[in-house]
Amino acid sequence: MSLLAELDLEPRPLLGAALATLALGAAVALGSRGGRWLDPALLGYLLATLFACFGIAYRYFAWIERPATRMYFRHTLRTLLSPRALKALPRMALLTVDQIVLQRFIEKRSIKRWGAHALLAWGCLLGFAVTIPLVFGWVRFTSEGLDATRYQAWVLGFPAGSFPLDSFLAFVSFHILDLAAVMVIAGCVLSLIRRKQDEGDTATQRFDLDLLPLVLLIAVSMTGLMLTASEKWLQGRNFATLAFLHELTVILLLLGLPFGKLFHVVQRPAQVGVTIYKAEGEAEGRLACKGCGTAFIRANQRRDLGELWKVLELDGARHSAPGGGSIHHLDLCPRCKRRLVAKAQSTRLHGAFDPFATIPVHAEPIPDPTSLKA
Amino acid sequence: MVPQDYGFFIDPQRCIGCRSCVGACAECGTHRGRSMIHLDEMDRFDSPQTVPTVCMHCEDPICAQVCPSDAIKRSEDGVVHAAQKPRCIGCQNCELSCPFGVPIVFSGLEQMLKCDLCYDRTSVGHKPMCATVCPSQALLFVRKDEVANLRHNKPLRDFLIGSVRVKTKNAIMVPDPETPLHLDAALLIDGGF
Repeated sequence: MSLLAELDLEPRPLLGAALATLALGAAVALGSRGGRWLDPALLGYLLATLFACFGIAYRYFAWIERPATRMYFRHTLRTLLSPRALKALPRMALLTVDQIVLQRFIEKRSIKRWGAHALLAWGCLLGFAVTIPLVFGWVRFTSEGLDATRYQAWVLGFPAGSFPLDSFLAFVSFHILDLAAVMVIAGCVLSLIRRKQDEGDTATQRFDLDLLPLVLLIAVSMTGLMLTASEKWLQGRNFATLAFLHELTVILLLLGLPFGKLFHVVQRPAQVGVTIYKAEGEAEGRLACKGCGTAFIRANQRRDLGELWKVLELDGARHSAPGGGSIHHLDLCPRCKRRLVAKAQSTRLHGAFDPFATIPVHAEPIPDPTSLKA
Repeated sequence: MVPQDYGFFIDPQRCIGCRSCVGACAECGTHRGRSMIHLDEMDRFDSPQTVPTVCMHCEDPICAQVCPSDAIKRSEDGVVHAAQKPRCIGCQNCELSCPFGVPIVFSGLEQMLKCDLCYDRTSVGHKPMCATVCPSQALLFVRKDEVANLRHNKPLRDFLIGSVRVKTKNAIMVPDPETPLHLDAALLIDGGF
């Protein structure tokens, strides 16, 4: 109890994370036929994955508890549970392909960034797609009976076909993780080069958040490739040491997943919900600025932001309106908000807005060579 | 880290609308090619007044409070950064909620960008691009103890919107900084533009 108090864990996310981890544990137990198909060599990975599941679920539930996140989460849930889902689902599928699979929005940000990210993302996802079923005991390979020249694949304890060891399928099965490793290393190296060249990234990046995940991914991939090299060309020399190093780096990566930058993988699908929300808002129409009359804010977003501002105790940001009533600050467009600052300053300087009070206004003795007064 | 003894002092009254800041801003390394500074005309028919707006870098940024993906962070030196690229989902909450109308969400990129005080420059001891080129010094980045010698007016970092108080890192120049600057929409509506 004192440890929990020290960690300052929130009860609802804690419950959600515990349930998610239990559900995963149950899925592992079921899929591996009560643990019978679990590979003892992969138990370290399994424990780290369960921890990562707990951490990611905790952070996810804590994240959607934030008032602003809850606003979009609830809207997406409402859409999915309403008759509108029939209309929204095909669009969501298309958006998922565009935004999550192809990641086109990153391409629009920068083609170099997209190339590096695509290699990294798809290399990682490919790697996880192969290793997680193996770690969970959902997929396993054995020799086919007494025939050592054929491999038998098992899925959830059921036979799922066999193939000869010298076939193309066998080659792909045994080396798909090598391909993933090469993709990840290429993506990481390109990212590091881009980060080195980009002045903005260089100024704002942090080692623990931005560089450490890349270094860890390279370490995981390199040790994985070295296992293949040891087995292929070095007659298995140092295989046990390399296997330990690989396991160590993977476990470190898994333990860091909930805390670091890679958590964005779990957050990104929210973009699909937001795009649907924006499309529904466009259909409902935009409201006019109370200052200049320009249509600027989608009606649904105005309503939800109004509620959000109440929760955030910002609802007092209201102006008195001429002729009674009030104008919420949210009802002013960004341009009017900017002009309001200048107008307030001018009013403070001159008692009222002076349309011609540009410089020089104060006869300031400015000992500054670039000043117009100097 | 941006040196804490330096400050950004904004005086819209001094702006001559030359747009140098707009061009220079696009040279900033953190958003190269895109200008984050806003230069608005108060009302072309009635006044030559132009309004340069950079981020005020609020102490408790509303943009960060309303961000669903927790993508907007304020560093220890008080600079509120553009949304983190891996997290921003382009919802526009920040753009619509900023009390000063600063952030810009680029649709298609699903990315919010904003003035980050030219962090690539200020964190290594240079001035922000806009302050470097502003000929009338409506945008002034100097040591805080120097500003009293350069201006009659004094820096104000305290704003009032209805009953909501917003405190900022950057300052607006006014004669009496003891009282918060009241951003009252009646100024826009009653006085027209």
